Amino acid sequence: MKIAIVGFGVVGQALVRLLRERSGELYRRHGFAPRIVAAIDTRGAALSAQGLDIAALLRTKASDGTVATIPDCGVSRVDNEQVIAECGAHVLVEATPSSLRDPQPAIRHLKAAFRAGLHVVSVNKVPLAVAFPGLRELADYNRVMFRFSGTVGAGLPVLALAQQCALGDEILSVRAVLNGTTNYILWRMHEAGLDFAAALAEAVRLGYAETDPSADVDGVDTAMKTVIFANVVLDRAATLADVQVAGIRDLPRERIATAAAAGRRVKLLAELGEKLRVGPQEIEAHGPLDVPANLNAVSLSLRHGGEVTLRGPGAGGVETATGVLRDLLDIWHALGSAP
Amino acid sequence: MTIVMKFGGSSLADADTIRHCAALVRGRGSDRVVTVVSAMAGVTDMLIELAQAAADGTRMRVHTLLGKLHERHELAARAFGASEAVAPLLSQLDTLVAGIGAVSELTPRSHDAVVSFGERLSAVIVAAALDGHAMTGHEAGIVTDDRHTQANPLMKLSLHQIRETLQPRLEHGEPIVVTGFIAGTQHGAITTFGRGGSDLTATLVGAGLPADEVWIWSDVDGLMSADPRIVPEARLLGHVTFAEAIEMGQFGAKSMHPRALEPAAEYRVPVRMRNTFHPDCGGTLITDGQPNGETVRSVLRLRGSALVTIAGAAMVGQPGTAARVFQALADVGVNVQVISQTVSEAGISVVIPASQLDPARVALENRLVRTGVARKVEIESDIDVVAVVGAGMAGVPGIAARVFGAVARREVNVMAIAQGSSELTICFVVKADASATAVQALHAEFGLAG
Repeated sequence: MKIAIVGFGVVGQALVRLLRERSGELYRRHGFAPRIVAAIDTRGAALSAQGLDIAALLRTKASDGTVATIPDCGVSRVDNEQVIAECGAHVLVEATPSSLRDPQPAIRHLKAAFRAGLHVVSVNKVPLAVAFPGLRELADYNRVMFRFSGTVGAGLPVLALAQQCALGDEILSVRAVLNGTTNYILWRMHEAGLDFAAALAEAVRLGYAETDPSADVDGVDTAMKTVIFANVVLDRAATLADVQVAGIRDLPRERIATAAAAGRRVKLLAELGEKLRVGPQEIEAHGPLDVPANLNAVSLSLRHGGEVTLRGPGAGGVETATGVLRDLLDIWHALGSAP
Repeated sequence: MTIVMKFGGSSLADADTIRHCAALVRGRGSDRVVTVVSAMAGVTDMLIELAQAAADGTRMRVHTLLGKLHERHELAARAFGASEAVAPLLSQLDTLVAGIGAVSELTPRSHDAVVSFGERLSAVIVAAALDGHAMTGHEAGIVTDDRHTQANPLMKLSLHQIRETLQPRLEHGEPIVVTGFIAGTQHGAITTFGRGGSDLTATLVGAGLPADEVWIWSDVDGLMSADPRIVPEARLLGHVTFAEAIEMGQFGAKSMHPRALEPAAEYRVPVRMRNTFHPDCGGTLITDGQPNGETVRSVLRLRGSALVTIAGAAMVGQPGTAARVFQALADVGVNVQVISQTVSEAGISVVIPASQLDPARVALENRLVRTGVARKVEIESDIDVVAVVGAGMAGVPGIAARVFGAVARREVNVMAIAQGSSELTICFVVKADASATAVQALHAEFGLAG
């Protein structure tokens, strides 16, 4: 299967590394021999119909900050949509950074792929949070597959689990910790008695938070995941405007301490009930949603099955790359079993 | 308030009528208005003829038609200082027509490209009259499948793109004029919607923004309780439901095409039908509101139909007979308007357009009589379908008794009856010369004159 990757940052690099490391096993178990025919970053692209040399991709990206300088394969300043349409790939992996300020480039990448008949795996949350119903319609119209399991819970199969639960049962409501960075900050404020600024600084130092952490801290990242969950699992045509969002910026340490004294913890919680809400909420200490460090937790309340909770790492390049690989294999198997 | 206003071709006949339409838009003061336009009156038909003439190689006809189109649009454009805006479009049209002539072939795709010039030209002229910006439906965000001449919008994608494209422009207070009827595929090829196309553009834009109301300006006041040519005391209906409007459209009322009402009904955008030449009239408001206590709202008739009865004892208790009847009709492209079958009688009656009677008859005789499935095909040409429509009829006992009682008192013979399970409509078949009497009787029976 020929793959194009747009966005060659942490996740893109983790993905090609994973494909290389697991190539023997992937071929043995699935007959899956992926070739990267295009890798696009902000400065250009590397193209090869036979498949790019993964070692050269990683080496050049590390040394030059771009893949556009790889001898023979590199091209600087490309039209991304043109590359996507003409590189001959079967699948596009959209892994550009999620920026709500300008959702258009990522949306254009997905549309270009659908138009040209490529299947798509998106790790980027923004196009889904902004335009999910329309994008799914375009994918269906062009009879291609559209997967995005890495957008919520990274490597955790949050959407797949919830969809399976919703098949035989009914999801009444969802409560979830979906952002590792803020969970780490709140956890450190409780464990070590740090104030917000110190905990944030520590998260940045450990690489959990971006240098501009506002999307995490202000609840926007969680809100985007909430919208995706609502559309995909609950079949609700929600957009970001439908989510009531509050963040944890400058949350006073006392709020954490007061909650702790009552045997409770403060978490940045996504709640999907009648309304969609994101904000700091108190939960029971040591309950299913009380996850430490930068972990995620998703708790589904089912009509017949009771509470079902999934906990685990919900961020990170390698973790997210496993989500992408899961989607790629899903597409690979679906293609093979198509009539 | 955000309003989408759509002007049909009859409202855009020349510079004077265009000026009048522009005044109706301007009259909304601080409201935000998106204007959707059809081609100028008669232009679409000329373009269709032009495309065919070009492919047929009838050069004189091409020359004449192009001349008329140039003159019509140049004259209207001059009144608003838009000559320079229409010139490049007209020259593109010349080139396109020459190309079609050179290959002597008219594909559905090039047909759509030629026809699109009607709306593109009128949009540019109306935009000049409004000091606004003209866009094609595709530029406004509408994407369709690739069924040229009969395209269907990719609804969710289109609504999203309409909002993305038009909202920021509206916030700048810029008057926007969008071409009705034409849109484009995902690859940018021009497509057209087919019947009801400009209204569909208007309701799509209305649902996408979303707008508070969509106003459809045409040359009728709105929906009536009956055709005033048959019932002089017929009254304008101030408010109907989407379901009623769709049903009335099916029965040939001067309503909107049911397809155009779909996006408005689904996304709950009220639609108001208004008369350009009678702007003081409030028109008919179409919403998803509950019925207002009235049962029957309107009495309609569908003319030029034929009643076909497929009969034979062999059909009794024989599963699949109905399927064969409809398959036979579908295979020759016959549109079935009414279906009626009784439990005891060995017969199925269908009403079809009289114009399709011949192919229908041959198909049924060949597929059913020849094979012994049915004994004979009986034809009653010269019939009309009369329908009473009203969302409030559902669950109210005795409506049918009143309908048929009123008709019987006027000695009109009812030949077949059908009622949908939605109870929105009761319709029946009568001889063509009795249909006016039936409509008058029902209009009086239900007190529709108010």
